[in-house]
Amino acid sequence: MSKAMLEIFYDAAEKVNSAAINAWKAQGKKIVGNTCSYVPAEIFHAAGILPVRLRGIETDNMAVGDTYFGPYICSFPKCILQLAGEGRFAFLDGAVITPGCDAMRRLDECWRKAGEDIPGIVPPFFYYFDVPHKTAPHGLDWFKEEIRRLIQAVEQHFHLSITHEALRASIRQYNQGRRLLKQLEDLRATPEAGITGADAFAVAVAGTVLPREEYNSRLAELLQVLEQNLPAVADGKKRLLTMGSISDDMDLIRLIEGHPKALVVAENLCFGVRYEGPELEENGDPVAAMAQGYLGKSTCPRMYGKYQERLDILKQTIARAKVEGVILQNIRFCDLHGSENSLFQRDLEAMGIPCLKIEREYGPLTEKGRIKMRLDAFLRQL
Amino acid sequence: MTLTAGCDVGSLTAKAVIMRDGRIIGAQVVKSRAKPEISAKEAMAGALTAARVALEDVAACVGTGYGREKIPFVKEVVSEIACHAKGAKWLVSSARTVIDIGGQDCKAMRIDEHGEVIKFITNDKCASGTGRFLDVMARVLGISVDELGRLSAGAKQPVTLASTCTVWAQADVIKYLNSGIAVADIGAGINIAMANRVAILANSVKAEHDVCMTGGVAKNNGVVQTLAQLLGRRITVPRKADPQLAGAIGAAIIAGQL
Repeated sequence: MSKAMLEIFYDAAEKVNSAAINAWKAQGKKIVGNTCSYVPAEIFHAAGILPVRLRGIETDNMAVGDTYFGPYICSFPKCILQLAGEGRFAFLDGAVITPGCDAMRRLDECWRKAGEDIPGIVPPFFYYFDVPHKTAPHGLDWFKEEIRRLIQAVEQHFHLSITHEALRASIRQYNQGRRLLKQLEDLRATPEAGITGADAFAVAVAGTVLPREEYNSRLAELLQVLEQNLPAVADGKKRLLTMGSISDDMDLIRLIEGHPKALVVAENLCFGVRYEGPELEENGDPVAAMAQGYLGKSTCPRMYGKYQERLDILKQTIARAKVEGVILQNIRFCDLHGSENSLFQRDLEAMGIPCLKIEREYGPLTEKGRIKMRLDAFLRQL
Repeated sequence: MTLTAGCDVGSLTAKAVIMRDGRIIGAQVVKSRAKPEISAKEAMAGALTAARVALEDVAACVGTGYGREKIPFVKEVVSEIACHAKGAKWLVSSARTVIDIGGQDCKAMRIDEHGEVIKFITNDKCASGTGRFLDVMARVLGISVDELGRLSAGAKQPVTLASTCTVWAQADVIKYLNSGIAVADIGAGINIAMANRVAILANSVKAEHDVCMTGGVAKNNGVVQTLAQLLGRRITVPRKADPQLAGAIGAAIIAGQL
């Protein structure tokens, strides 16, 4: 795999001010950040705005984040607030905050409060987008209403019109990316795959930042190369799956694959295939299609009554990718994944699938030594 | 007569063991220096001298511990979890659960009849429950770690350390000292606090008979006895060799299997 071909993905995955973001802004166009997989990117795409997932990469201290959040809470929203407080999100014309979990919901309050003390850090369009916890009909109706309100708010703030036709075109564009990413996932699952877990993960994370048209064409090119029978990277390595709390941490995957016998062949994270979700209905009412796709088919642990479905998806992925060990990681204080990881460990180990549970901080991977010790022992166990 | 060696460079001490046909013929424990390669060389030099052999005579050496990647003379490096399991099995052949408390971490493992790890867990919250916790507390009390271990026997009313954080617990200990509470009661409270933290890990791996304790803290009878009470199981402390050597012993055994 040529480095040049992957460069754009790594740049987008590992830099807050990526080349793609800078190029977009240089054209005088708008960018709106979002914090969770429930915000339909198609709304912004249809409005000619670049939707980007807000992440906490490149943080090197927590002075702002800790001040407003306090110490005993997930470090992911704290890292986002830290970057906001340092003015690193100056490229944002807007931000949409969702209650993916309670810590993420608090980002809305903490960011606003920090904005009172540090002028200019709250983007001009700052919107709280509510998301129900149930996919029952009344939950979907509520979510449709939230989507309509968000569309209206974007139209009013940015003085533009988002037509249903434009939304349908955006859904088609995003669906294409979803299909391509799924192809990459299927390809990675084979023992003959010529792409490492780190490279594939960089591609997945980059999808949350790059302009969609560019992403789709680059990903299609990459898939063409991968289909030309590149040398397999598996080479007798143990096939691992990573899952759990939010993680866009390339260093974690590098650390795992730094072991000569480890290869990450799949993920179940809110980056990648799960983040992108299933394809949306391209015809009919686009609002209903987005509600159904983003909420109705969501398999995120914040949703009530979805554990069995998530476990089934996990089992299918494990079987498809011939996974030999599962790494369950969660960010400290993560209630959703912290508790769910224990259930997964119980159920997977009962099926004879070895699991390693790791609790860590989001942000710079400072716990390398301790994590590596456990990884080494786990790989030996396999 | 194959000679193998194991070198375990931890955060507080570095250990080296030389084995001949499954028996220890030389061992050394030294305080860790800032550079792991220096600690490793010092420990190995001591072990070689004790065994009256030269490094060239050793067929294979395995490195382990936090400084394992920097040890210059090893054939392979292996996670300390695997080494401690093997070492504990050699020290106590009936062991099925191993609790190892090192300088900066604490591990609980369930192992099979070959000393292979079935399930393990390490502390990942903070320093309490590690050897460093006892180190800090002994220093506050102005006694050695060994003396701290013996204090539990003479305690009448052990104090309660409410906090699991090393720094806050230290503040509690200073408060108790200043209010004139007997050192034995404070020391026993420290050992109980330590055992409480370790019991959480041991319960997490579902400890099974026989439970064996390794690492320097295995020499602290106060912690061992309290932990045995908390787990409701007898804890075997190795007598065959210094329990602190378990990681290095395991490394030397693995070296023999390379």
